[in-house]
Amino acid sequence: MSNLGTALLIGLVGFVGPLDFAIGSNMLNRPIILGPLVGLVLGNLSQGIIIGASLELVFMGAISVGAYLPPDVIVGGVLGTAFAISLGKGVGAAIAIAMPIAMLSLAIGNLTSVIFPAIAHIGDRYAKEGKPGGITASMWGIGLIECTRRGILCFLGYYAGSAGMKALLSVIPQNIINGLQVAANMLPAIGFAILLEMIMNKTVLPYFFLGFLLSAYLKVPVLGVALFGLIIVFVRFHSDQNRAVVSTNGSSQEDVNDDDDF
Amino acid sequence: MMTTISNEKKVTNKDLMQIMWRSLPMEFGWNYERQMHLAFAYMMAPLMKKLYHGDQKEYTESLERQMEFFNCTPQLVPFIGGVVASMEEKNAEDKDFDVSSISAIKTALMGPLSGIGDSLFLGTLRVLAVGIAASLSLKGNILGPMIFLLTYNIPAYLVRYFGVKVGYNIGTSYLERIQKSGLMDKFKDAAGILGVMVIGAMTQNMVVVKVVAKFGTGKTATSLQSILDSILPGLLSLLVLYIFYVLNKKKVNVLWQLLGATIIGVLLTAWGILGV
Repeated sequence: MSNLGTALLIGLVGFVGPLDFAIGSNMLNRPIILGPLVGLVLGNLSQGIIIGASLELVFMGAISVGAYLPPDVIVGGVLGTAFAISLGKGVGAAIAIAMPIAMLSLAIGNLTSVIFPAIAHIGDRYAKEGKPGGITASMWGIGLIECTRRGILCFLGYYAGSAGMKALLSVIPQNIINGLQVAANMLPAIGFAILLEMIMNKTVLPYFFLGFLLSAYLKVPVLGVALFGLIIVFVRFHSDQNRAVVSTNGSSQEDVNDDDDF
Repeated sequence: MMTTISNEKKVTNKDLMQIMWRSLPMEFGWNYERQMHLAFAYMMAPLMKKLYHGDQKEYTESLERQMEFFNCTPQLVPFIGGVVASMEEKNAEDKDFDVSSISAIKTALMGPLSGIGDSLFLGTLRVLAVGIAASLSLKGNILGPMIFLLTYNIPAYLVRYFGVKVGYNIGTSYLERIQKSGLMDKFKDAAGILGVMVIGAMTQNMVVVKVVAKFGTGKTATSLQSILDSILPGLLSLLVLYIFYVLNKKKVNVLWQLLGATIIGVLLTAWGILGV
C-alpha cells in the first residue's frame, strides 16, 4: 500500500480511538488495544500487540485523574507503535518516539480546547429553549473535534515522520502554550463560582472555607473533606432534632442542653 | 390521592436504564470550564422532559440545572444520576422543594465519588487488568487485549447497572423520610454544607495558579509562590474563584469571563509572572 494510504489508515485509528469516550470509556483507547489495530494496518499484528503492551506499561501512570490531563497516550501510542513497526526498530524506539509525541499532542490539544467552552455555551442556549438536542449536538461537536484533531495528528505524524512532528511543535511559541495551560488551570473556578452562587447563603459560607482550609493546611483529600462534612451535618441534624423533641414536650427553653437527657 | 397525575410523572425502571445507557458518553464533550456537564445533561434530559411535561418553565430550568459543572469517575455517574432522578421526581411533585439542594447534593457526591472511583477503577482495576493481560500480550497473543478489556469492563458495567438503581432507591427513601419528619429546611442546609465544603476542597485542589516571579536576583532571590504558600496554600486559587464569583453575581457573560481569563493567563505568563 502507498505511504499515503497507510497514513490515512493510521489517522483513522487515531480518530476511532478517542471515540471510545462516546461509548463508555471502555479503555479501548489505550495502547494495549490501539497497538494491535496499528499492527493490523501495517500488516504485523503480533508486533502491534507486543509493542502496544510495552507502551501500556510505560504509560501506566498517564491517565486523567480529576482535572489533571496526562500526555496524550492515544496519539503517542498510535504513532509510537506505527514508527516502531514500520522502521523495524522495536519496543525501545516506540517508547522513545511515543513520549515526546504524547507531550506535543497534549500541547496542541490545549490550544484547540480553548474553543470548547464556547461550544458548550451554544448548548446552554438550547437548554434555555428546552431543546436538549442542542445539548447533544454541542457534546458531539466538542467530542468530534477532539477525535478529528487526534486523527489528523496521527495522519500527519505518520506521513511527515517524527522530524516533521518536531517542526510542527516549534511553530507555536512555548510562551503561548504555557500561557494557555495557565489559563486552562484557572477555568474550573468559573464552574465552581456558578455552583457556589446557587448554594451559597450565610449558614453555609463558613463551611466553604472549612473545606478549603482542610485541603490547604492539612492536605485532606476531597473524600476526607466530604466525610468531615458528613459528621458536621450529622451533629447539626442530631442536636436540632433533640431540641425539636424537647420543645414539643412543652419545655420551651431554647437553650436546653442535649446532655440533660442523662 | 394524587394517583393519575403522579403516576405519569414517576421514575420507572425503564427511565433508570435509559440514564444508565445515556451515561456512556460521559467523557465526551469534556471542557475545562464545566468538564462533563454536557454529557450529564444528555444523560438526564429525557427524564426531565417526562417529569416536567407540560410545564415549559420548569422543564428548561431543570435542563439548565443539569448543565452545571460536573466531573466524576464515569462508571459511578449512573449512581449520581439515580440520586438526582429521585430528587427531580420529588421536585416535580412538591412545589415547596428547594432546587438548590439538588445542585448541592450532586456536588457533594461527585467529589468524594471521584476519589473513590478513580482509585478503584483507574488505580486498581485497570492496573490489575494490565497485569493479567500484559504477560500474554508481550508474547504477541491476541487473547491479551481481550482479557484486558473483559477484566476492566465487566465490573465497570455492573457498577453502572446497579449504581443507577441503588442511587435512585437511596434518594427516594431518604427524601421520603426527611419530608415526613418536616426537616426539609434542615436537609437543605445539610446538603448545602456538604456541597460548599466539597467545592472549597476542589477549589484548593483543582484551580491551580502558580506564580513563577521571584524577588531579588541571583542566590538571594526568593520565590513569591513560596511566600504565598507559607501564608495559605492556594490563596490565589481563592482569589480567582472570588473574582469569578463576583463577575457571575454581576451577570457578566461567561464567554467574556472565559476570554478574559485566557488572555490574562497568556499575558501574565508571557510577562513571567505566572507559569505552569
